[in-house]
Order: sequence, then structure tokens, then C-alpha cells
Amino acid sequence: MTTRGARLTIVFALVLHGACAPSGATSPAGGVVSPPGALPDMSKLAPSVQTQIRERHAALSALVAARPGPVDLANGYGELGKVLMAAQFPDAPEPYLLDAQRQNPSDHRWPYYLAQLYRSRGESEKALAQFARSSTLNPDDVASQVWLGDTYLQLGQPEAAEPRFAKALALQPSSVSARFGLGRAALARNDHRGAVAQFEDVLTRDPKAAAVHYPLSLAYSALGDQARADEHLRQRANYDILPADPLMVELETLLESPQTYETQGIRALEKEDWTGAASWFRKGLALAPESAALHQRLGAALSALSEMGAARQQFEEAVRLSSDQFLAHYSLGVMDQQAGRHDAAIARFSAALLAQPKYPQAQVRLASSLRRTRRAREAVAAYERALADAPDLAEARLGAALTLAQLGRYREARDRLDAAVQAGGEVAPLTHALARLLAAAPDAAVRDGARAMTLVQELLQRGRTLDLGETMAMTLAELGEFERAAAVQRDLITASRQAGLAPVTARLAANLSRYERRLPCRTPWTEDELP
Amino acid sequence: MRGGSGGTVGLATMTSPSIGCSGGRRAGCRRALGGLAFLTLLCLACGCAADPAVAPVAESTPAPTIAWFAERAAAAGLSFVHVNGATGRLYYPEILPPGVALLDYDGDGDLDIYVTQGRSLGPTLESATTPAATARTVGTVGGRLFRNDLRVGADGSRDLRFTDVTEASRITADGYGIGVATGDIDNDGRIDLYLTNYRGCQMYRNNGDGSFTEVTAVSGTGNPSGFAASAAFVDIDRDGWLDLYVANNVSYRIENHTVCPGPAGAPDYCPPQIYGGMPDRLYRNLGRGRFADVTRAALPGGIARPALGVATADFDGDGWMDIYVANDGEPDVLWMNQHDGTLRDVGLAAGIAVTAEGKAEASMGVDAGDFDNDGDDDIVVTELTGQGSNLYVNDGHARFRDASASSGIGGQSLPYTGWGTAWIDYDNDGWLDVLTVNGTIVAQEGRAPLVFPYDQKKLLFRNLANGRFQSVGAQAGPAFELSESGRGAAFGDIDNDGDQDVLVGNNSGPLRLLVNEVGTRNHWLGVRLVGRDGRDMLGARLSVVRTGLPTLVRRARADGSYGSANDPRVLVGLGTSVTAPSLRVRWPDGREESWPSVPIDIWTTLTQGSGQ
Repeated sequence: MTTRGARLTIVFALVLHGACAPSGATSPAGGVVSPPGALPDMSKLAPSVQTQIRERHAALSALVAARPGPVDLANGYGELGKVLMAAQFPDAPEPYLLDAQRQNPSDHRWPYYLAQLYRSRGESEKALAQFARSSTLNPDDVASQVWLGDTYLQLGQPEAAEPRFAKALALQPSSVSARFGLGRAALARNDHRGAVAQFEDVLTRDPKAAAVHYPLSLAYSALGDQARADEHLRQRANYDILPADPLMVELETLLESPQTYETQGIRALEKEDWTGAASWFRKGLALAPESAALHQRLGAALSALSEMGAARQQFEEAVRLSSDQFLAHYSLGVMDQQAGRHDAAIARFSAALLAQPKYPQAQVRLASSLRRTRRAREAVAAYERALADAPDLAEARLGAALTLAQLGRYREARDRLDAAVQAGGEVAPLTHALARLLAAAPDAAVRDGARAMTLVQELLQRGRTLDLGETMAMTLAELGEFERAAAVQRDLITASRQAGLAPVTARLAANLSRYERRLPCRTPWTEDELP
Repeated sequence: MRGGSGGTVGLATMTSPSIGCSGGRRAGCRRALGGLAFLTLLCLACGCAADPAVAPVAESTPAPTIAWFAERAAAAGLSFVHVNGATGRLYYPEILPPGVALLDYDGDGDLDIYVTQGRSLGPTLESATTPAATARTVGTVGGRLFRNDLRVGADGSRDLRFTDVTEASRITADGYGIGVATGDIDNDGRIDLYLTNYRGCQMYRNNGDGSFTEVTAVSGTGNPSGFAASAAFVDIDRDGWLDLYVANNVSYRIENHTVCPGPAGAPDYCPPQIYGGMPDRLYRNLGRGRFADVTRAALPGGIARPALGVATADFDGDGWMDIYVANDGEPDVLWMNQHDGTLRDVGLAAGIAVTAEGKAEASMGVDAGDFDNDGDDDIVVTELTGQGSNLYVNDGHARFRDASASSGIGGQSLPYTGWGTAWIDYDNDGWLDVLTVNGTIVAQEGRAPLVFPYDQKKLLFRNLANGRFQSVGAQAGPAFELSESGRGAAFGDIDNDGDQDVLVGNNSGPLRLLVNEVGTRNHWLGVRLVGRDGRDMLGARLSVVRTGLPTLVRRARADGSYGSANDPRVLVGLGTSVTAPSLRVRWPDGREESWPSVPIDIWTTLTQGSGQ
């Protein structure tokens, strides 16, 4: 019998003993000690979590039998309550947390967890009482104050909420969540100036706190400043502004489950902690080796660490386990594409799109590989599909136009670029492509040197690049200014040589030769320039 | 209706004369009828405090001797159990149905019932397990139509009986049913039926002989590849024909199905964002029930959000119908009518797309109604557990204030995941109350051995006439103690006695019929608003002008709630007022008419063109 098995046998005996006892035992402190009750149905939970909960339950049974002091007893009850709460049982944690509170009424953790449990069940009045108790026991805790204020706001009591947020702010002057709460309380009291002051302060301290924009917009609107209201309305986004909450963070990391490790890994990825992310995903895979999603995510973390071979293995395993893993298919496609294996890339992107038809990035990548394998018409169709799903996707607009140019359909390419530039958004690459087409398209009806020059001048305001310089030279040549075109081209060649860009230097030299012979450029893009 | 006076013109049903309070909720009770228990009940219904408008209903109030709502589905012959087809694979559509409808399909003056049905889902929509077993459980698989055979005794007593007439109706709704909408698409005076399904929708034209003909293809309303939850008939362009708004949910296919485990690894249904929202559709009625899909031109912006509920009303009072769409986890949409056949989403700017904190919540059911009696339509939206229902107060110009917290509705509904909902004046005191049916979408682990652990109790909020609401479900009777997976709910006067009854569709559970037992303790006005051709004039706005009392504004509507269709008639609570009010109607085409004195406590039909 394993150690765990032996322990469970003892635990089972203890549980039976507890279940048969006519009444609770007496704690050393003199209070009545409840034996742990039966666990809820856990059949749907991950086996590792079932084991974890049973072990805590067994530990508590053993503890009760040992008649320890109330603090230890409280911890035993509380730990079982915590793990049940982490497993998102709505009812099961409550008696254990209440027992923990009874055994050790001075520990702020138990009312805090009870408050969060009630809050998750929407039982605000009960949450309020427990948050109040917790904050009395731990008056310097910012999270308790913020949640207390937040719960008052939910109940439509901004006057009661305000002092709680104010106290949180006094405890932690940098607290964004406390300021956000003060702003919300002010807004609820129709103190629009006060709300604006708090919300603006939040945005100054945390420009990413996009949730502020909407209530700020409401406040400005109420003050009659519609311009500012509209400006903030446009920036509205979902973004949780929460207090630092170590007790709840502890719960989030408590369960030994693939899902917990996956969540932690995703959070690490969001923080660009690639090593940490890989570690979490590996822990998850130790429990769930057949999880395609975990393999895919581990692959993503490894590719961020430039461990491309290992990443590829993970992606391959992900798609072997589940053909629905479109991100893994996509990642494999990108790897193949970058290695110039376009036929393989096409197969990967096609598989990604089979699993997730609305995936415009995959369509764009597919189109690029199709174009590079001389399937330009199919590439145009793929770009069209990408644009159907994401009409503003600049890469798709640009790719479609350049592929049309490759097919000799210069007018269509020009018209598309024109429309895309007019539509706005991130248009610099589109403007540049349009300028080059106007300067160097073989179709005379498409060329417009004067307009190309206007566009190039606009782009030069933003910065100078070799590509743009090349377009400038093309434009000058189109306008008949061959000497200036050649001079620009020579400067570009010098720069590209210094940068060690041999293929670029060769291309520039070929066009320089044309300009020196007073011939304009009639090749807007060479094959290697296209995306 | 069997045994009642019936008919579509003039008087339909007489109820018992007024009893009870003389001062209504504000003035308190002045007459005591009968014993103490009865007095207590009357006081509960009408309010006895010195200023009951602000006085909460006390927790210690003795339980009523009779239920405010009595559950009578089985007794009335409504033997229907919804089957969501769950096989443990957790297919997303399983958590959405069923929707229910109240419609007078046979034109006999009482409300019949349609309820959608599910089935087992599998890779090809075929039964994944054993269709025969499913059929044994529920009888014939598919949505069901029940005819109301209401009998009204000489003493005004009601005997509610329903007969399953699905076979005779020739409705063969064997898709995976989600919701239902009703409206007369061809202006023949007979109400037609639109069924929203996982994968496409079905339109059934009422033949007028008790049967329906499926006209999905010929009407052009199939919503191909769509996955709609709710739909609403609304005359967007004021051309006299009902157009159709179809609220699509997500881009879900069985083939791209996935499961979303919780942190402990328990598999559960995924949120809609996993699959992505699907654009809604607007079908313009070209006349005689043929529709054109005008989505691209009429609904600009390519908005694709997971829609669940839809309600139509003229929110800015310009005489043109607008559309509110409740979206799950993404900003709600308020389509404002541009008077040229197009609509524009102004939800965010109107203050109604997200909460005052800027959060897009999981909006499900929705209804529009004038709860504060200021002449414009306000919005109530049901949300997830922990979010609480939202109440948006209209300033008359379609700019809304989030009063969820201050009204008490938000805080008191936090423990619940709400679906079907409506503004109903359950006690006919002249102030619209709120009823919601609830059920979670996350399995409540540990509450074994439930087969489908997504159940919750219903909520009833009483309008305290001061902008605040009090949860009074605990006092409303045993029906409100039932914990079930409520989804659709339809509201209307099913027994024609002058108060609002409720039909509730439960996911994986029985149909419930909540018969109102307290509304007729106050006076009421019941009006059916019809066009010259006999069509229910959905969207018509009724102003009830009372001497010395505020004018009450209500509208004819079948939409709202969740996946369900309501009684298109208008029932207005009058409190203790016994004076016949004058009525003013603004018809959907913008024309107005008045009727100087309309009798109360009976149902009356007002036909366009018959007023002044």
C-alpha cells in the first residue's frame, strides 16, 4: 500500500468515526468541534483535485481527532474550505469557513474568504457583513476596504461606499482601484466633477485602465462637455481594475489541476515571462499529458524562448491529439513559411482554417504562401476571405493589392490601395504601396508621378527608410528627373552596402543603371520584396 | 376559448367587480373585507402602510393564505417536459432553450401556447444517442402547440384546460428549438409563428383553420446558417407590414464544439466568446409575408455579438420603432430608427450598452416598459449571477441612466442568472413590476444528484412607486419556491380575468403556468389594438388618460423577455380607480386616435379608424 493509500485508509476510518459520533467533540478551548461533514460529489473534477480535496478532508479529520488548539483547528477547517472554494463549489466551503471562524474569530482570513464566497453567490448583504468583520480584524488591508466599498455600490449605497474607498486610499495612496471606487461613488451621487477628478487621476496613474473611459464619458456628458465625453466613449474597453488581493491569488493557485496551471501559464505569457509560462504548462502536462491545448501553449512559450525545435514538437503533438488546435496548425505554418517550405505551410494554414474558418491572419499567411508558389489567383481569393472577416486588416488589403499587381491587374491594385488609404486607419504601408505603383506600374494609365511625389513627401514626414528612398528615386525617374533619381539611388546603395544588405544593393544597382540611361523603373516590386 | 363570450371585437370577458383597497398603494386600505387573514392578503397586494410607496414589505409579514401566483400547468393539461438532449458532451445550444409563446392562433379570444423543444445533438444534428428513448420521455419530439379551451362559468369562475393540437396544426418543428416569435406577417388577421432554432429558423403561416403551413423558403426568412435565440416582429418602415428582426447568438457548429473546464477540471459549457458572435438579421416585409434580407443596408457596422434577447419600442418618442438587443458578454445594441429603412447603433452613447462602470455584462432577457409612469419606455435586462439585472431609466430622448443599484433591482438579483423577464403590473396598481425566471449557466457543483444542476428560483420585484423595487417572490406563493432552470417566459392574461399570468419554459424541466390570483383585486383596463385588417398592431402606443391621476403609457408588444412571445394585448392596472378612462392611441404608422371613455374590468378591442 502506498503512503497515500495508507493515509486514506486511516482517514476513511476517521471519517466513519466522525460520521457515527453522536455529537461533536469538545475542543481544548471548550467549544464544540464539528467533525468534517461528507464531501460533495466530486466525480466531475480532475482526479488530481479530487485527491487534493480528499487529502485535506482526511487531514482535517485527523486533526479533529487529535483535539488540537483552536488556531490549528481553525486552520484545518479553513484549508478545506479554501480548497473547496477554489474548486468553485457554491455551497460546500461555507460550513468549513464558518467553523474556521468559530474556532479562531480573530483571524481575518476566514471572514474575508466567506465574504468572497457570498459575493460570488451574489449574496451581497452577507458579503458586506463579512467584509466588515474582516476589515475590523485587519484594518490595514486595502483589498477588504475596496471590496467593502464595491459591495456598498452594488447595493446602491454610494454614501456608505465612499468612506471605504477613502480609507483604502489613505492606506495605499497609489491604489488605482480605490480611486476608481471613489470616482464611481461620486458618479452614483451625481457629483460629476468629483467623478471626473478621480477618473482622470486613475488614467494618469494607469493609462491602461480602459474601464475608466466609459464612466468618465458619462461624467463629462453630465457636465455638458460632449467633446470629451465622446473622446472617452471611443476608448471604452473591458478592463478589470482590482485591488492587490493576495488571499484570492492564493486561491487561484491552490488547485493542483491542469486548468489552474494553464491559467497561471497564460498569465505568465501575458507578462512575457516565457520561462515561467513554460514551467506552468509543463506542470499541467504532467497531470494531463493528453491536453492538446497545453501542448499548444507550451509550444508558444518555447517559441518565444527561441527554442524552435522543442516548440515544433509541442505543436505537432497538439495537432496529433486534436485536429481542432488551429493555433498549433497556424504556428507550424508560420515555421514552415519562414523556412521557405511554402507547400507545407499551405497545408498547415489550410488545416488551421478548417478548424477555425474565421481566422483572417491564417488567411493572410495562406495567401502569402500561395502567391509565393505562383498561385496568385488563389492568393487573391484568400486575401478576400481575410477581408470578409476583418475588413480593416491592413496586411490583407496590402497583400491583395500587391498580388493583383503581380498578376498585372495594376488598375485594380491601384483602386484597392486608393480605397484602403481613404478608409483610414494604419495606412502608411498602403500609402507607400500606392506611391510605388503610381511611380512604376507598367500600365501608363495607372502611373501618376505627381501624385506619387505628393504621397512620398507625406511619408517622408514620418521617417526615412531605404524602401521609401527607393520609391522616391522611382518617382523622380517617372517625373523625368533622372539625375536626381540616380543621386538618390547612389546614396541608397551606399547605405545598403554599409548595412550588409547584398540583395537590396543588387536591386538598387539594377535600377540605378536604368536611371543613368534615362529610363524609368517599370517594376514596382521584385519578387523578394513582396510580403 | 370554450364557453366564454369570446370574439375579437368589443367586449371579451367580464371579471368580478372590484374588491379590496380603495386607496391603492399610496392611500392604503380603507375597507376591510372578511377576516384578518384576508385583510393581510389585501394589504400585501395593495399596501397598508401610511406611505406604502416607500415602505418595504416587511420580512415578518405573515404568509398569504393563497398564493399570488398558482402553478397550474399539470392541472390544466400542459403535460410538457423540455428535453435539452444533453448527453454529457456539453453542446453549447443545450443551455439556451426553451422559449414559449402566448398566441391566440385560433382567434377564439383566449391565449394558446406554443413551446419549443430540444433533441439530442450530434455531429450531423442526428440523435447522438437514442432518439427512441427521447421520444418515449416526451412523446413526439418537437415543439408543441396547446389550444386553450378556457371555460368561464356564469359566476366568472375560470376552468383552464389545454389540448395538445400539434398534430392537427401541422407544425413539424423537429429542429433543435430555441425560441419563438409571433406576428401577423400577411395582414390576414391571423397570428403567424416564427421559430428560432440552432441552425436556421422556420416561419409558419397560420391557415385560419387550426393548421399552419411552413413558409420558410417562400417567405425568405430562413436565417441560413444562423443560430438565433430571439426574434421580434416590428414595423420598422411604417409601411403597414411587420418586418422581422432575428437576434443571432454565436457562430457555433457541432463540428467546432469544445468544452470549457473550470479550475477544478469539471467540464462545463463554454461562454459565447469561445465561438464568437454572429450578426443579427433584419428582414423587410415586402408585403403579404414575403421578406427581403436587408441586413447589410439596414444594420450598418457589421456588428457580430452573441445576442439573446430583443425588445422593440419607440425609445426616443419620434414615432418610429427602435430595437434593443441584449448581448451575452458584449455591449448591448440600441438600434435607433433613421426613418429611411436603416438603423444606427447608439447603445454606448445612449448609456445603455454597458453598465455605469463600463462593463459589458452577460445580457439575456430584456423588456421595455414605462415603470416610472413618465411616458417613455425604460429597460430591464437580466444578467449573470454576480452581475445583477440592470435597469436603465429613459429620459424621454433615448438617453438612459443606469439605475440598477439605486433601484434595488441590481443588488437583489445578484444571486441569480436571469433569462425571461417582463415589466408586468402583477397587482394592477398602475405601477409596472418585474418578474424574472432564472437558472445558471455554470453547473452548481456539489448540488448532486441533480441531472442538470443549473436551477434557481424565480424573482418578483414589486415597484414601490418611488424608483425602488422590493423582492417579494418569497411572498408570492409556492411557485416561487420552485428551483428550476428557467429560460423563456411569456406574459399575458391566459384566463382572461384581467391580470397577468406567466408561462415559464424550463430547460430540462416541466412547463409551468403561473396563474395570477391577486391582480383582479384592483381595477384594470384591457385593450386589444388591431388594424383595419384585424392584425394586432404591435408597437401601438396606448395612453390611458385619467381624471386627476397621471396618464399611463403602455404599448402593444409580443416581443421582449427571452426567446418568447407575449400576449399582444395591453393590460393596464388602474388601482382603485373606477372611472372609465379616455384612451389615446398612436398607431405604428404615426397616426393618432382617441376614445373618450372605455369601460374597465373587461377586455375591449379597439380597431384603427374607429376612434376620433
